[in-house]
Amino acid sequence: MAKATTSIRRQLILMVATVLIVINAVALWSVHIYANRAAKESYDRLLYGSALQMAENINILDSQYFIDLPVSAFETLALSASDRAFYSIMNGQYQVLTGYKDLPNIPFTQLLQQSSEKEKFIPIYYEAMYRDEMVRFVALGKRLLEGDSVNDVFIIVGQTLDARRAAATEISQMALQFVTLFFFITLLLLLFVIWRVLQPLQTIKQAITERSSQELSPLDANVPSEIAPLLKSINYFMAQLDSTLNRLKRFTAEAAHQIRTPLAGLNSQAQNAIDETDEMLRQKQLQHILESSNLLTNTVNQLLSRATLTHRYQSHPFSPVSLDYVIKETCRDLVVWALEREVEIEYVGDIKATINGDEFALKQMLQNIIENAIKYSPKSGVVEVELMIVFEQSVPLIVLQIRDQGVGVSDQDKEHIFEYFYRSPDNFASGSGIGLSIAKDVAEHHDARFHLKDNQPTGLIVEVIFPQRKGLSYEG
Amino acid sequence: MKVSCLLGLGLFLVSRMVFADAVPQDSYIAFPSLNKQPKYQGDVLAIYGAVNHQAIEPLFRAYQEKYPNVAIHYTESNTRHLYEQFISQPNIRPDVMLSPAMDLQFKLANDGYALAYNSPELVNVPKGSHWRNELFGFTYEPIVTAINSDILTGDELPQSREQLLNLIRNKNHLLDDKMGLFNIEQSGLGYLTWAYDGQQSRSYGRLLEAFGRHQARLYTDTSSMLNALLKGQIFIAYNLVGAYSYKWSQQYEWIKTIMPTDYTTIIMRTAFIPRDAKQPILAKRFIDLLLSSEGQHVLANQSGITPISTKVKGPYSRDELSKLPHGIFRPIPLGLELLIQTDDAKKQLIYHEWDNAMFAEPNNLSQ
Repeated sequence: MAKATTSIRRQLILMVATVLIVINAVALWSVHIYANRAAKESYDRLLYGSALQMAENINILDSQYFIDLPVSAFETLALSASDRAFYSIMNGQYQVLTGYKDLPNIPFTQLLQQSSEKEKFIPIYYEAMYRDEMVRFVALGKRLLEGDSVNDVFIIVGQTLDARRAAATEISQMALQFVTLFFFITLLLLLFVIWRVLQPLQTIKQAITERSSQELSPLDANVPSEIAPLLKSINYFMAQLDSTLNRLKRFTAEAAHQIRTPLAGLNSQAQNAIDETDEMLRQKQLQHILESSNLLTNTVNQLLSRATLTHRYQSHPFSPVSLDYVIKETCRDLVVWALEREVEIEYVGDIKATINGDEFALKQMLQNIIENAIKYSPKSGVVEVELMIVFEQSVPLIVLQIRDQGVGVSDQDKEHIFEYFYRSPDNFASGSGIGLSIAKDVAEHHDARFHLKDNQPTGLIVEVIFPQRKGLSYEG
Repeated sequence: MKVSCLLGLGLFLVSRMVFADAVPQDSYIAFPSLNKQPKYQGDVLAIYGAVNHQAIEPLFRAYQEKYPNVAIHYTESNTRHLYEQFISQPNIRPDVMLSPAMDLQFKLANDGYALAYNSPELVNVPKGSHWRNELFGFTYEPIVTAINSDILTGDELPQSREQLLNLIRNKNHLLDDKMGLFNIEQSGLGYLTWAYDGQQSRSYGRLLEAFGRHQARLYTDTSSMLNALLKGQIFIAYNLVGAYSYKWSQQYEWIKTIMPTDYTTIIMRTAFIPRDAKQPILAKRFIDLLLSSEGQHVLANQSGITPISTKVKGPYSRDELSKLPHGIFRPIPLGLELLIQTDDAKKQLIYHEWDNAMFAEPNNLSQ
């Protein structure tokens, strides 16, 4: 059972949420900075405006200062309704002409510098504690001209910071509300998008779950191009499974049929033998029964060996096998049986080759091929078994050939000969019809190529070409 | 009834010579606690105010009915004197300061002398009637002109400043020495209303000139001015507090009170708790009562002072006030605008103008 790794959905949500939080935090932070700056600038302007209005109403006449502060200067300050305000007007000798007499931290040096430079006065902003509260001040100079004398006065206006803070907080809070709303809306949209994107996977799952276990036809679902390969793979896999299952079904049916036919024959022959009075004929019939039962045994053995092989494929790992040794041994085992049929087995070649494989399976394969070759050989025919090295594009390959001198196989039959229980219509030799199929299975299990060729002048060549891979060695 | 008996017992008068020509009296009245146990020593709430003690007394009674163990010591004084005393004698500050001189009260609050108190009763009063939760306006009073109608002799009662100027012109020497004004140099309220007139209209200059030419008499408080009007020492009293003048008009039908129809200045009496109040909790309760619908109701029904709240009903409510003939109501804003009234340079300018008009030799004027 495959173990599920962290869900894609969760990863996506986590990433999206993280990105959103980071973006929103940065946005809030910058809004906070902006809000403070905006509030500071706008209220500084009010302060400056107020100082300017005061400055405008300060005049000098006969060396007497004439100060008539306008209400508008204070109305400007009153725009920040909940702030205290302080002001002071001083002459060049820092004597307070009117207003508060104890304002702190007045930047006299800067004012004096501006005063001596005879340039236009520019406002100086500063903050200081006054009467237990932080106060933002603006200091502004004004040049008063009377005749040849120049007198400078300084206007200092200050205000507490409540309105600025309130304005900054208001902007920040509005931003916070907006960002929160934005955050949730984007999150919802993204959640929807994620759900939408992952929907095809869900659809496929649903389609598979809803199917009966028998149904292996391709899934038909509209999926995005990214998911299509997955669907294709699933469909390919299902097609494979389908064909395997079909083969298995056919095999089971054929096997049952193959066993039933000899059994029916056995049954009727046995019945005949019971009814037969002539001892000679009965002997003959009993002989037939024996032959039929041998044939049946053979078929069952083949089936069993195939089952065993299938089992071995799954349970037995490969190990180094000396191919030449196995071939020779198999030939030795079959030579007596061959001679009974007046057929000779001839082992050609003197190379030694070791491959990674299953010895038992390989032996089965060889046995089936050679038996088949003997079976179809004419009397006093020769079955040649050869192991050789062939270079294909300078890659050495181990090639095994089993050649007989029988009637051969027509090209049409070559296509079907590996199907289970296939027997050529004009084949009269006894056989189960699964020997070559098993041989081919084994070859393919070893990644070997399995070919059928025509022998000259007549006959069949079965060729098994083992692939070049690790664990393979040869000499010769 | 018991209360008023005790009132009589606790009445003291403290006199203090502050000015040579005017004698602002600090009248000190004690309202003992309602707790009758012998030798009971309760808390004392000290209130300094420029509010007539008869007008404010119903409010004190309402307070003591709520908090019977508290005694109230009320010191009544002239607005400017209250302010100067507050600055110059930091060790005898009260628990509550009440005054109609909005500029002086505002200056004290702006300079950080007031205790911030977020009273739950602020919901009862309009938004602009308090500043920073430190200074609380609790009344809404027109500044009026009172005229002895006997001098009209058939002429129309003047309704605006313009008509008043016409009347003065017509009566001419009949009004010499027969008009009353606040001495702006000694009365905070007088200065506030006069300076505000200066901001509002062009008739201000001509009024000043007319008052100067006819040697108007100067007073430091409303009641002495109304007394003079009653006794026939003056025929016209300009810029009075409406509440007192209307009361006089009810009693004496020849005294007519008019709210000038060109504009009527509205002032608020304000209260604050000094930061160094000895009984801040009692003071806060007093502010609560002052702003509560109950306190506002007392003002509108018993004190004869129009309260700031628009919701309360009564003979002196804002509803009733707006039924009287009047022009545009111009409330003096309770805010930083008031700082201009406390500006020394501005004050010197106004004083200078005032002195030139009031104290010039009549010969010079006639030239």
